[in-house]
Amino acid sequence: MKPTQQLAAALTLAVATATCLSQMQKPAAPAPAVPQPAPGPLNRNTIVLDAAHGGGDSGSRIGDSTLEKDVTLALAFRLRSLLAARGFTVVMTRENDAALRAGAPGAALTLDDRAGTANHARAVACLLLHATGAGQGVHLYSSELDAAPVEAAVLPWLTAQAAWVPQSAQLEASLGAAMKRAGVPLVSSRASVRPVDSLTCPALVVELAPEGDDRASINGSDYQQRVAEAIAGTLIFWSRQAQSPLRLPSERAVNATPAPNNPQGDQP
Amino acid sequence: MMFKHQRIVFWCLVGCICLMATLLFLERQRGRERILSLATDMPMDAIAASAEPVTLDLANDADGSISAEQRQMALPLDPSARTRAILDQLLAEYALPGSTHPLQQGSAVEEVFLLPLPVVGYSANPSAPALPDGGPATSPVAASTPGPGPVKAGGELAVIDLRSSFVNQHPSGVEVESLTLLSIVGTLHANLPQIEQVRFLVDGQPRETLAGHADLLRTYPARDTATGSGGGHP
Repeated sequence: MKPTQQLAAALTLAVATATCLSQMQKPAAPAPAVPQPAPGPLNRNTIVLDAAHGGGDSGSRIGDSTLEKDVTLALAFRLRSLLAARGFTVVMTRENDAALRAGAPGAALTLDDRAGTANHARAVACLLLHATGAGQGVHLYSSELDAAPVEAAVLPWLTAQAAWVPQSAQLEASLGAAMKRAGVPLVSSRASVRPVDSLTCPALVVELAPEGDDRASINGSDYQQRVAEAIAGTLIFWSRQAQSPLRLPSERAVNATPAPNNPQGDQP
Repeated sequence: MMFKHQRIVFWCLVGCICLMATLLFLERQRGRERILSLATDMPMDAIAASAEPVTLDLANDADGSISAEQRQMALPLDPSARTRAILDQLLAEYALPGSTHPLQQGSAVEEVFLLPLPVVGYSANPSAPALPDGGPATSPVAASTPGPGPVKAGGELAVIDLRSSFVNQHPSGVEVESLTLLSIVGTLHANLPQIEQVRFLVDGQPRETLAGHADLLRTYPARDTATGSGGGHP
């Protein structure tokens, strides 16, 4: 081999070696950061009370002169004063006989409107108050939906409660234990009651039944106060232990995550 | 001995009687033919020759339970008519004196529709060429709020159209309303295993609740609702 050929081969080898070394020393590009599911916001000091029915919708008739809408409103007022005294912010879907839309005189709130009010509050508990003349004590119902592991970024309205079902079940168990301690007969079950499946909070239907065989006992102030105090006492502990479910980031949030070479997060 | 004018009156009366008898006979024949023609035009469901066992999930308001009970019924062969006949029988039981879940008498189910799953709809497709008859082309699309697909091949969605006369008279309350719906769902599941989902309409329209409480907008999964079966009303 001639000296010039040896020199060319050596140069080629040196260039190849340098190229390989430079490739090996270049740090690997970091994987783009993908937002992980995170718990959604939860206002631990906020409770939503939905006194069911109202206005032209009287609900069921309890006895000769008692309407469900009146019992639910009376219980809601008792609960509100007890909860406010314990430092909670109470959001009520109606405070009068009829629930009316703000800015639309005469237009009654629909069940979806009530669910919207509750969802905007991001409350630690949403209680839908009902009353019945059948049975005795307090009947608790949570959603019948199958539990979802995480909350989707965009929720179907009729199954929005799915990710909250485990929390609602825990709240139902806590309230049930409190009722037993208070000596109130209890029925605990699951049912599809509008609009509980559309709520994005730990949600329960609390149905008040007469204390005994006499249907008029449902209006007893001592009885209602005992039930309200049991609920309020439970919610103090519940507000500390409630957890909002993991929520998947929205598509927009994923797209807006800044890539390493695109720190402004601009869209390509 | 009759006078002449008496004979004339007599024969006139005899003539009138004969005329009226003829008219009555003709009208009777015409009415019979009309009923027969209506009967032949009406689609009749073939009734099974012998009664067959049917399971009814009967609700009990006293303890909030649902129990499965057997009845013998002659059922049509058509699945929709069969479904409706079973539901009519179930709700008729609740109207009987001494019922454990008393509901008002009268027909409750207007119609039952059985749709194969998954349910899809059709929308106009402007990008596709028009149909030969000049109408806009359509393409099948999934429903806007798609439910789960069939668990098994041949799974169906039962759409039960209730009468408003039944719904408006239904007792109000979370438990009593839930028991009615679960009783219907459980009975369908027990007798028509191809039904996987159940939806409700009232007079052909969606309605929020049965009587102020139980959700009628939801699609109910068909399942065993009898108490103690593991999937029933606790």
